[in-house]
Amino acid sequence: MMRRLEPQSGEFIDRSQPLKFTWNSKKLVGFAGDTIVSALLANNEQIISRSMKYHRPRGVLSADYWDPNTTVQVGDEPNVRAGHRLLETGIKVSAQNVWPSLAYDIKAANRLAGRFLTAGFYYKTFMKPQRLWPLYEKVLARFAPGGVVDLNTPHGYHDKRYAHVDVVVAGAGPTGLAAAISAAQAGMSVMLVEHNHRVGGHLLWGSDQDRETAAELANLAKVAGVEILTDSTVTGRYDDNWVAIAQRNHPGVVERLIKARAKTLVVAAGLIERPYVFAGNDHVGVMLSGAARRLINNYAVRPGHKAVVLTANAQGDATVSDLERAGVEVVAVVDGRKGQTISSASGSSKQLKTVITSDGSKLEADLLVTAVGWTAPTSLLNMAGDRPSYNPTAARFFPTALPDNVLASGGIVGDGSLDELIAHGRSTGKLAAQRAAVIQHRLRTTVTRAVKPDGTEPPLPQDTRKPLVIAPHPELYRADTHGMVDYSEDVSSKDLLGAAAEGFDSVELVKRFTTATMGPSQGKLETVNTVAVLAEAKGETIEQVGTTVWRPPYAPISLGALAGRVFEPVRVSSIHEWHEANNMTPILAGQWIRPEHYGDPNAEVANVRNNVGIIDVTPLGKLDLRGSDVTKLLNLVYTNKWSKLPIGAVRYGIMCAEDGVVFDDGVTGRLSENHYLMSTTSSGAAQVWQWLEMWLQTEHPEWQVHVTPVTTGYTSINIAGPKSRELLNRLVDDVDLSSEAFPYMNVRIGTIAGVSNCIMWRIGFTGELSFEVHVPSGFGLHVWEQLLAQGADLKVHPFGLEAQRIMRLEKGHFIVGQDTDGLTKAPTTGLTPLIKLDKEDFAGKPELQWSLDAGAAGLPVLVAITPNDPSLVPDEACQILRQGTTEIVGRITSSRFSPTLQRSICLGQVASEFAAAGTELTMRLCDGSDATATVCTHHAHFDPEGVRLRG
Amino acid sequence: MIGTNRGPRYSGAGLLWRGLRKSNWPRVWRDTPLKKSYDVVVVGGGVHGLATAYYLAANHGITNVAVLDKAYLGSGGSGRNTAIVRSNYLTPEGVAFYDRSLALYKSMSADLNLNVMFSERGHLTLAHTDSAVRTMRWRAEVNKLQNIDSSVIGPDEIKKIAPSLDTSPHTRYPILAALYHPPGGTIRHDAVVWAYARAADAYGVDLHQKTEVIDIECAGGSNPDGKGEGAKVTGVKTSKGDISARVVVNCTAGWAGLIAGMAGLKLPITTHPLQAAVTEPVKVFLPTVVVSGSLHVYVSQTDRGELVFGASVDPFATYDMGGTLDFTEELAGHVLELMPAVSKMRLLRQWAGLCDITPDYSPVMGFTPVEGFFCDVGWGTYGFKAGPVSGEQMAKCVADQATPELIAPFALSRFEHGMLVGEKGAAAVGH
Amino acid sequence: MLLVPCPNCGPRNSADLTYRGEASARPNPATTTPKEWRDYLYSEDNPAGWLKETWYCSSGCRRFFAVERHTVTSEFREPPLPGSKTPKPLGDVGGRAVVGDASELEGEQ
Repeated sequence: MMRRLEPQSGEFIDRSQPLKFTWNSKKLVGFAGDTIVSALLANNEQIISRSMKYHRPRGVLSADYWDPNTTVQVGDEPNVRAGHRLLETGIKVSAQNVWPSLAYDIKAANRLAGRFLTAGFYYKTFMKPQRLWPLYEKVLARFAPGGVVDLNTPHGYHDKRYAHVDVVVAGAGPTGLAAAISAAQAGMSVMLVEHNHRVGGHLLWGSDQDRETAAELANLAKVAGVEILTDSTVTGRYDDNWVAIAQRNHPGVVERLIKARAKTLVVAAGLIERPYVFAGNDHVGVMLSGAARRLINNYAVRPGHKAVVLTANAQGDATVSDLERAGVEVVAVVDGRKGQTISSASGSSKQLKTVITSDGSKLEADLLVTAVGWTAPTSLLNMAGDRPSYNPTAARFFPTALPDNVLASGGIVGDGSLDELIAHGRSTGKLAAQRAAVIQHRLRTTVTRAVKPDGTEPPLPQDTRKPLVIAPHPELYRADTHGMVDYSEDVSSKDLLGAAAEGFDSVELVKRFTTATMGPSQGKLETVNTVAVLAEAKGETIEQVGTTVWRPPYAPISLGALAGRVFEPVRVSSIHEWHEANNMTPILAGQWIRPEHYGDPNAEVANVRNNVGIIDVTPLGKLDLRGSDVTKLLNLVYTNKWSKLPIGAVRYGIMCAEDGVVFDDGVTGRLSENHYLMSTTSSGAAQVWQWLEMWLQTEHPEWQVHVTPVTTGYTSINIAGPKSRELLNRLVDDVDLSSEAFPYMNVRIGTIAGVSNCIMWRIGFTGELSFEVHVPSGFGLHVWEQLLAQGADLKVHPFGLEAQRIMRLEKGHFIVGQDTDGLTKAPTTGLTPLIKLDKEDFAGKPELQWSLDAGAAGLPVLVAITPNDPSLVPDEACQILRQGTTEIVGRITSSRFSPTLQRSICLGQVASEFAAAGTELTMRLCDGSDATATVCTHHAHFDPEGVRLRG
Repeated sequence: MIGTNRGPRYSGAGLLWRGLRKSNWPRVWRDTPLKKSYDVVVVGGGVHGLATAYYLAANHGITNVAVLDKAYLGSGGSGRNTAIVRSNYLTPEGVAFYDRSLALYKSMSADLNLNVMFSERGHLTLAHTDSAVRTMRWRAEVNKLQNIDSSVIGPDEIKKIAPSLDTSPHTRYPILAALYHPPGGTIRHDAVVWAYARAADAYGVDLHQKTEVIDIECAGGSNPDGKGEGAKVTGVKTSKGDISARVVVNCTAGWAGLIAGMAGLKLPITTHPLQAAVTEPVKVFLPTVVVSGSLHVYVSQTDRGELVFGASVDPFATYDMGGTLDFTEELAGHVLELMPAVSKMRLLRQWAGLCDITPDYSPVMGFTPVEGFFCDVGWGTYGFKAGPVSGEQMAKCVADQATPELIAPFALSRFEHGMLVGEKGAAAVGH
Repeated sequence: MLLVPCPNCGPRNSADLTYRGEASARPNPATTTPKEWRDYLYSEDNPAGWLKETWYCSSGCRRFFAVERHTVTSEFREPPLPGSKTPKPLGDVGGRAVVGDASELEGEQ
């Protein structure tokens, strides 16, 4: 039995394009232009879902995006709004929240238990026995509503757009269209955003003349240059009019997020129809007048056969004539303005049969249409700080105070004839344009260094719009029976009264206790009824009870759209492709991708110790410092002294925050009188730069220093091993690399493999004779390949991060952030000699002074540790205990098996009483067993005298 | 246990009986007028304040207590958090403290006769870098020493526990390991508020909603107005009238500094919003709590099927709870990194709560330089987890007039002495 | 997203800048006392109202500047000139440690 009507003058469907789809595996046909709901109803499929708790069969309520009864699964997409989503050919649509099927749902047995499953019933039971609660919980979780996530759903392609427009208009009904037109005519760039698939708002399901007006306005908007987005929603208004728009019909993406810094935002979101609360108000066949009108006029679907209409406004009246024209027998018109209402509706699970009016008349009907009033969707205005207040005359909430850059128009602020609404929209658009111009001026003049544009700021135009009238409307919220207030949460007016009686008697508490308004329809249909029932319970007015704050987003937005294409850059050095081509095992270090090793880190260590190796250390932070006051800066940020650093020398230093905690370390070399190169840890590069800038700009703006980050300007290569000098010598002509001419902790500038202006410093993180060369990065790969080519006979081999970590541990060098933590003060590291308290000032000095004055009491000590079983490598982070107890007295911070020493070696932090060389420690291993270890004399397990690196 | 047990007990039988008789339950707590004098005034009707009042009455027999809230009970952080509980902290002090809290949470439904729906579903903290793995191991080892079920597991085991996670090695942030904490889970945060409120009320504690504290009256202090160091509390001025009281306990979050300021004190606190969001419901597919510190995201699925997300606090101090778009964008991006399959799920609602951040990510608890003015504040982003134990210990502190051992590390005076709590020790600690 | 008025770049999205916390003067390290120094390190005015604070235009001109912002309404006042004396300890910027691996920090309730 099809319900499709003869062609209607306002229909959206294209009867020449039938579309096949399936509904719970049943093959059906609709037309292009149908929504899923209109296609289902045309096929006489009335039950679209089952309710959350009681599994009551549910049919169309509002037949639009906000319909709580018509969310469906489409393929792998859950929770599709079937009243809004357009039918597409071949889609597989299925009902959600049904088991085993929509028609025969076993959980519907819950209905029988309904009186025991009052709102919040679960708080009052299942407390004992406690061990059974997890079982109950599993059962409750089965009742989770909503669709199914297919775990094979691909990430998908998502995109975002930044729109640079002056005015955003939310809502393209007659007022929104008029506002957009006049703002654009005033010279502003305007984006008009319409939630539905077509512009025109309620005109679309009105008379032919209404639709003509809509078409004229749409045409004017196009001519005026307004950018019109349909099937798109302004989902949020954030600080300073940062406006989010979800665009659902952009080709190629499921949804697109558009972000715009609107100078003014016009909210013309119209009104949302509010359901009436009475027994059976969620029965299949009970729907809102807007739904009936849309189905008939736009989709040519007959919503029923015998109808009762409850009307309290013009839309309800118009529904009566629409129904009659569609051949629906209107058995009764119940006029809310005359004090008549509906008491109850009932029938079978498949269709409505009986409607009882407030005067007791029993009417036979399969359709009950209600038109009892409106909810102003003030959500976007809430987000702009407005707290709406209730007006009993009009039976709805109105905005109270809006910021200068947000204007409201249309149904949200009042009523009027179509002409009056359009006139209000026009004046709103004009005001929006004027204010946008002033705000634009204000934004420009924020730049103090710029020439002030356009003279003085014009005054903000005042709101001189002729206000819309506020038309009286009867306050119709609940009948003399109880019905659903929140359809998606299955919360009835009885639940709300019960909750209020229990003391959950403020709007927020009742919402939290019953979950009313918290479901997928976001309270659009439910909030005001909730407030009205609560007011009734408390014997207060709706105004006294107030309303909840509507939070963003205005309409649900997909995670994919919010995510967009995730821009998480990675950094690689200029040698990266070579690493990839040469068996690199990569490791992620912050943003950097680096070679962890090239196959065998132990062999890489051995080769460095015996021959020569090269490692790409480009991620090392590098800052170029120039100016006459660099020394002062170095003295301030490092704990040690820098005044006498000769040209050509490098020095190691540690940096502390003002609380004395170590936050970075590295070497800095003096290249010429007023030119230095500073190195930082790889992860600390950005922070150290900021740190230096902060001191220079805030505390010492009089100092002459330029800081330039050059981390990626240079490719950095460390050449390490006893044959490193020999190797480098083959590539360098203009620098004497001999130990006498170029001693340890020195820096030279020279030419490597024909590349001039390379910086070479002699330092040794690995503990070997080594040269760290910084090559202009365009030539990094060239130098790397030359080193390998020229050193083949020296057995040069690249080594990775892992080999370097082993060697630095053999050498006892600590790593900031691994061997130190967020509370490690400088004395813990054992570098107290580098803390020069006789300097006038340095960052963190007072804390370090007091700490050292107290003999570093209470501070842990970083020590080298060797497990007594040399084959045992304790995991990093395993704890050191006071023997025979579980008291933690330290932890292993670094551990490796040393291929050089053929034994396990560690660094660790221990309480000072355990720090003396030779102290035996008890380690609790990760498997729960204990093992002993001994504190070493030096941090360095290997070559503590540093003979090799000074060679 | 509910001591005097004024109202009927909640039970399945009670539901049945009332269902048959169609009668409502009585009020969950009384609506009482403000008295002129209380022995203890607790400022803040969230989990901390209500628990403090409850334990004052239940454990120490101090029942002439008022709890004041400027809005409704649970309107602050207690109703805005993402309801995750766990005890796998980094320091022994932290572990002991939160473990006690978890134990109180675990038996709360039975103890307070209200089902708080504690879901012991396990808690996974993902590690995407080897330094994060090291920190997870650090936490696991400290936890094990205190008999907390906590261990580091690899990608295969992670995939078994949470199949929706992308554990392949080629993602931008590969999941290398996770700290797995089976006793962690979620709880219905509002129910916790109501359970404490109802139980405290049964002992005669007065709960005053929509009662804003305007000033704290003090005498004898070092400030010109008699407040500040050395002062004694004499009373509280509220929007509903004045109360004389010699003990005031500040159990607020977001406004802790402002309340302390009324007693002439300055706290080491900045207030930042913490945002959270929830999706539309889908059938349950995520059985545990999943946290990624590197990606600033944590996610769990409620029994109702919604995914609940949280992140790190907003980057700048503000009392504005409007929420931001960039939060949802970053959140969604990172969630999809972890679980690509949820890209078509839709975000339904976002909100924010205020967090009082201290320099060492640890609270400020106990005595202050103003006699009779106690603080249980500075809870950052982890106050909900600590609610029960904080109430228990604050009540003990007030009743015994001595600092209990469990909260000794959190004294306000530690900042003056530069003795910060070690939870900051590894910046790599997830709270 | 809040627009932060950088005196150099004009209004910029707050994500383009780094918040550096309350602008408080650094005590003289030579004469300071533990109480004064730790007050500088840890104490905060944290007003619900106008707050003088420091921002770093980290994705723009890289200038530090002080500005007054209302912490309830998020309005800014006419920004003073850049370069006022306003350092804060790096470890304690707005509750997010930047010492060590800051990326590992999270909030969770």
